[in-house]
Amino acid sequence: MLKKRVIFTLLYDSGSFMLSRNFRLQRVGKLDWLQKNYNFSQIAFSIDELVVLDVSRNERDEEKFCHHVRSLNDSCFVPIAAGGGVRTLDQVRTLLQNGADKVVVNTLLSEDPEVVREISIQYGRQCIVAAVDVKEVNGEFSVWTENGTVQQQIGLAQWLEDLQSFPIGEIYLNSIDRDGTGQGFHIELLDCLPVQAEIPLILAGGAGIPSHLGEGLKNSRADAVATAHLFNFVGNGLQKARIELLDEGFDLARWDVQLANSLEEVLA
Amino acid sequence: MVNVAIFDYGAGNIFSLKNSLEQAGASVDVITSFDQPNVYSGLLLPGVGNFDPAIKSINENSKTQFHDFVKENTPVLGICLGMEMFFEKSEEGVEKGFNVIDGEIIVLPSTMKVPHMGWNNLEIKKPGIILDGVDNGSWVYFVHSYRAKPKFDDVITAESDYGIKVPAVVEKNNFFGTQFHPEKSQTNGLLLLRNFLQDL
Repeated sequence: MLKKRVIFTLLYDSGSFMLSRNFRLQRVGKLDWLQKNYNFSQIAFSIDELVVLDVSRNERDEEKFCHHVRSLNDSCFVPIAAGGGVRTLDQVRTLLQNGADKVVVNTLLSEDPEVVREISIQYGRQCIVAAVDVKEVNGEFSVWTENGTVQQQIGLAQWLEDLQSFPIGEIYLNSIDRDGTGQGFHIELLDCLPVQAEIPLILAGGAGIPSHLGEGLKNSRADAVATAHLFNFVGNGLQKARIELLDEGFDLARWDVQLANSLEEVLA
Repeated sequence: MVNVAIFDYGAGNIFSLKNSLEQAGASVDVITSFDQPNVYSGLLLPGVGNFDPAIKSINENSKTQFHDFVKENTPVLGICLGMEMFFEKSEEGVEKGFNVIDGEIIVLPSTMKVPHMGWNNLEIKKPGIILDGVDNGSWVYFVHSYRAKPKFDDVITAESDYGIKVPAVVEKNNFFGTQFHPEKSQTNGLLLLRNFLQDL
């Protein structure tokens, strides 16, 4: 049967990878920092997928971002979803041509659903990840777009219900309040999902330790969990977290590292 | 060095596939039309997109038919949508498939979350050329909303369990297909691509 997934999210701003806390960004390092601090040739054995988001606060340089997507694709064989500022079919094509398997959209969903439809017609709905950023305002969960700066009028439960009829492949549900805090996921967000939710769901925002990932995976409504924290799982942290989750009996894919090494020798 | 072609029908990421094939030791050309000499030991139909636009893009960009291009029994590896095109037709569209394997493509059951997205294991049914050395139970990466329903089960060499048995690998003569993405399936995928290249 299908396994649950652990996803690593990289936040990119103007050539650097960022640490985010409540959507406020702090520069950490460039691609070489990532490759040095995460063993990239082995990272594929610790995570199921990569999400790479261009969250540049100033003007985006799409060409440079695509170059980074390509480099990430070169160094690890995992599915990659890329996004950030995606508004047109052309942008989607460019991302896919540069090694992304899926694109992440957010603002576009409410701003121009017709383009979302066009993307699904051209590339299939499995290609579209719908990001939903949530913040608690006066005790209500509200939906935010434009890197968490613009509040939408719609409530979370209604938006999640509406999204079920969009031609999308999965939903990336992210808590702005928990983002980067390491306090654990905002599990209550999952209660806003419609009972008959049919679209795979990724829960993000707040994981600080392996058991937080476990709390998300334990919930039957979450198909995957994501962490974007560049320090909580640095070094071999992702690998250790996966081993810990597997030891606790979580149903994650296991890869044969030995086979990988022997194959690498054969191919070398 | 084995020289293979990836047919780019403008539907998504062929970069990872090219990359994986080169890692597995092939030289790779990306072609967008069949109106050229087939100098290749193998052809790959990659995997992302929607049935009708993909078929149309192939038919409209080439005067030469797919069947004519591969008539000297060029081995073809179809991945996901590429495999789906081997069949007669698909519920995803109205265009005709290449019809090199009897059967059709139907939507996954509504009792399951669609798309089927993520890692699932292979249940190997019988030995196959591209499955050589791939263990029963191996993890591979799926992203799809439709599945093959071959007329004859003997073309299925591996399945995967997603509420129902989903044909995961099919082989018929010089046509090889995977519903999952070998180029995203880490070692097991590389092994499978290497098997395909070695058979050329």
